[in-house]
Amino acid sequence: MEDPEQIRNIAIAAHVDHGKTTLTDNLLAGAGMIADEGEATRLMMDTEEDEQERGITIDAANVSMTHEYEEDNHLINLIDTPGHVDFGGDVTRAMRAVDGALVVVDAVEGAMPQTETVVRQALREGVKPALFINKVDRLISELQEGPQEMQQRLMDVIGDVNELIRGMTENRDDIDDWTVSVEDGTVAFGSALYKWGVSAPSMQRTGIGFPEIIEMERNDKRMELHEQTPLSDVVLDMVAEHFPNPLAAQPRRIPRVWRGEADSDLARQMEGVDDDGEVVFMVTDISMDPHAGEIATGRLFSGTIKQGQELYVSGTVGKNRVQSVGIFMGGEREELDRGVPAGNIAAVTGLRDAIAGSTVSSVEMTPFESIEHISEPVITKSVEAQSMDDLPKLIETLQQVAKEDPTIRVEINEDTGEHLISGQGELHLEVITQRIQKNQGIPVQTGEPIVVFRESAQSNSREVEGVSPNRHNKFYITVEPLSNDIVDAIKRGEVSMDMPELERREALQDAGMGKDTSQEVEHIHGTNILIDDTKGIQHLNETMELVIEGLEEALDDGPLANEPVQGSLLRLHDAKLHEDTIHRGPAQVIPAVRDAVHRALIDADIKLLEPIQDVRIDVPSAHMGSASGEIQGRRGRVDDMFQEGDLMVIEGIAPVEEMIGFSSDIRSATEGRASWNTENAGFRVLSDNLQREKIMGIRERKGMKLELPASVDQF
Amino acid sequence: MLTFIGLGLYDEESITVDGRAALEDADRAIAEFYTSHLVGATVAELSASHGIDIEVRDRAGVEQDPEDVLAAAENDHVAFLTAGDTMISTTHVDLRLRAIDRGIDTRVIHGVTAQTAASGLTGLQNYRFGKSVTLPFPDARGGDAVPGSVVESIEANRERGLHTLVYLDINASRDEYMTADVAAGLLTEGWTDTLGVAVARAGGPEPVVAADTLSALAAREFGDPLHLLVIPGDLHHIESDALSALGGAPADALAARER
Repeated sequence: MEDPEQIRNIAIAAHVDHGKTTLTDNLLAGAGMIADEGEATRLMMDTEEDEQERGITIDAANVSMTHEYEEDNHLINLIDTPGHVDFGGDVTRAMRAVDGALVVVDAVEGAMPQTETVVRQALREGVKPALFINKVDRLISELQEGPQEMQQRLMDVIGDVNELIRGMTENRDDIDDWTVSVEDGTVAFGSALYKWGVSAPSMQRTGIGFPEIIEMERNDKRMELHEQTPLSDVVLDMVAEHFPNPLAAQPRRIPRVWRGEADSDLARQMEGVDDDGEVVFMVTDISMDPHAGEIATGRLFSGTIKQGQELYVSGTVGKNRVQSVGIFMGGEREELDRGVPAGNIAAVTGLRDAIAGSTVSSVEMTPFESIEHISEPVITKSVEAQSMDDLPKLIETLQQVAKEDPTIRVEINEDTGEHLISGQGELHLEVITQRIQKNQGIPVQTGEPIVVFRESAQSNSREVEGVSPNRHNKFYITVEPLSNDIVDAIKRGEVSMDMPELERREALQDAGMGKDTSQEVEHIHGTNILIDDTKGIQHLNETMELVIEGLEEALDDGPLANEPVQGSLLRLHDAKLHEDTIHRGPAQVIPAVRDAVHRALIDADIKLLEPIQDVRIDVPSAHMGSASGEIQGRRGRVDDMFQEGDLMVIEGIAPVEEMIGFSSDIRSATEGRASWNTENAGFRVLSDNLQREKIMGIRERKGMKLELPASVDQF
Repeated sequence: MLTFIGLGLYDEESITVDGRAALEDADRAIAEFYTSHLVGATVAELSASHGIDIEVRDRAGVEQDPEDVLAAAENDHVAFLTAGDTMISTTHVDLRLRAIDRGIDTRVIHGVTAQTAASGLTGLQNYRFGKSVTLPFPDARGGDAVPGSVVESIEANRERGLHTLVYLDINASRDEYMTADVAAGLLTEGWTDTLGVAVARAGGPEPVVAADTLSALAAREFGDPLHLLVIPGDLHHIESDALSALGGAPADALAARER
């Protein structure tokens, strides 16, 4: 732990059910952290009761272990991440803390949509991948494949993963060649269930290769296989050999995730993993411990974090006092009085102001880049306490939930007591509400899940004049749709107001924005950009803040149904202002701008958008018709159908709203023979014949007026 | 008919005789007190004194929903009242223009305004004032405590040797009035030793005038509202004598501004 060269910080990431958690338990058992007894100890990483019930990981869990490789003892800090698409935010945050990602792929299913997503998330953060192909035993015993077929199948998986890696790293000058290969030893194969594994180096060492494996598997000698070539050794050797230690990784990672002065002592301390330097700790996860309270877990880039230190938390004033510091040895939090040095994943209590994503440091500093998670919440549910007495406790719990999981959005409404939580999917919200009930013992009533909509301009508006209530101030605004490339660049965090202006300009130009426009960016809100096209207007600079406030109000509650507006480029062309500050104050400027933005959006043919999902169904061909019918009957579209092994694969898209309840419908339509998964795929304009009906439905639900402005004539 | 009537500076007695007559003649009286306020009389006292029920409106009621005021003025005589003068340091000319658009006769009956008091009580000559500014409460807007435009205007006036009348923010909904010592405190940054003149309760029976450096004014208290502040430019010798005699200005603070 003291010597950064012997530390590896890694995450295991994969598609749901490809065996991450089982693999993790293997590694722990191999490192002597838990008993090697098979099923009894399985899933020790899934500490929450509901995780064990559902058999999936929901939160990212942390664990440290030691492993001897080439006569050196290595400390391996591991984060197990959820694979279900609803919990993608946890994956993104975990990637910030680690330097290596062990990508787990099911040999039978191959690379799946969520595999692609996690590999992308890893590469975007500059985290080096290695591949473990799991469930190879099924190829042998279930599918009865011969050596040739097996080899072909495994090479296909490697090829798919490498294609992804190449695509993401080609244009990155800080990364050479990160593709994985059997020869290099960056690919391992095995069975997490039966605990055996092989890789090119292990074959050399043990003499056990595929022919031996096939034979032993067929003859049911799995226990011997495990003893002769244990999975944990193969994988942990690969981790120690091929994943960078913090000293090797931090010089590359710091410039990618931190925008502070590159030529400063602080930058040198972080890149050099200096345990005598200033404390710089990036929080990637907040969890609740019934005894210790709130635990902030994250990566310590520099310094030594110790009990009693007074540390700054980004975005808040004042300091927090560290109450205890430790690591998760074998999943148990172990407190360390001497502190935890740079390069490790630490568990810290006492940082009461920290949230997942905070930068915690001993000096005031530029915070780390915010951790961007690409998917936005798509579904909302109302939560009400059954008893009025629980109201304060429920509000506190909801705020805690939002702190622990930034992909959750919570809207507290103290007047009605009906609070809203928004998340990544039905399951995501179900898990959260169950935890509130069980862990906090608050009986709650939840409403039907409601889909989150968006509003978006479809054409260029004419110039619209916004007049303040006292009619002494005027603002001239137009709206045009932003290109998808620019919207995506904002979503990926490649363009933000936090970054230096020159870099932002360049990123916008790369995404296709004109040079002149890119130089006048005044504000970015959501995926909307405000351009200041005015020239030399007196007093505008001190009014701009209010202009932005009015703009944000207009964009948060769009003109059609008070849903958030996305993807608009707003231009302020001119403004006429009153001489005195009071007469161009908030009461004047905010309504004038809000009104102008709404009228411009309506003139730009604003329409309602709904979230859609990519859907993939694997089903025996006998049930293919009824399975594809389940997509088409939901306003969906089937894009592709093809054979894979003995199953048919159906791929298509469908609106999230229609997918509510899909799980039980598809089960009955296919007699439970279909496996399926979905991935949020952004927002799509709702067809014209549904616009008015849907808008009115939302307005009614929100208690808004049931008539649209007369100027709305686009559908 | 829509008559704009200034109520003057302090209480029900501050209105002009002409204004009082017009108010008594009106069928309906509407007042706003968000741009200024009469400290010496309540709305009930005003109503009783003028024999008419006075209806008070907030900003939205005047600016966003003036429809019923204008509709009433089409047939009846409506009086629109503000403290001070209805057309100085307000934006009510807009209401007058809307009325004219609808063919409603309008009339303005002036009231005494803070601008008169700023000259009258301090002895600073009205010929020598530059742009006026309002100093907003620091929490009224994010960012700097003192808006850049306020600083710029005072600077520009001083460069030309002109006095600046600083109106002090009021928050009608919370019944908050910025006092001259708070204002002087906000302005000390950059102008510590600069001469300032605090005026309190102008138009009342016992107005206070105090001239001293801004840092000294910031440390004093001037009692009940309303207050205003003047930042003198260069001083004519009679102005200097007046600030000394009427405001107790220390000689060294005056010397710095004398031409």
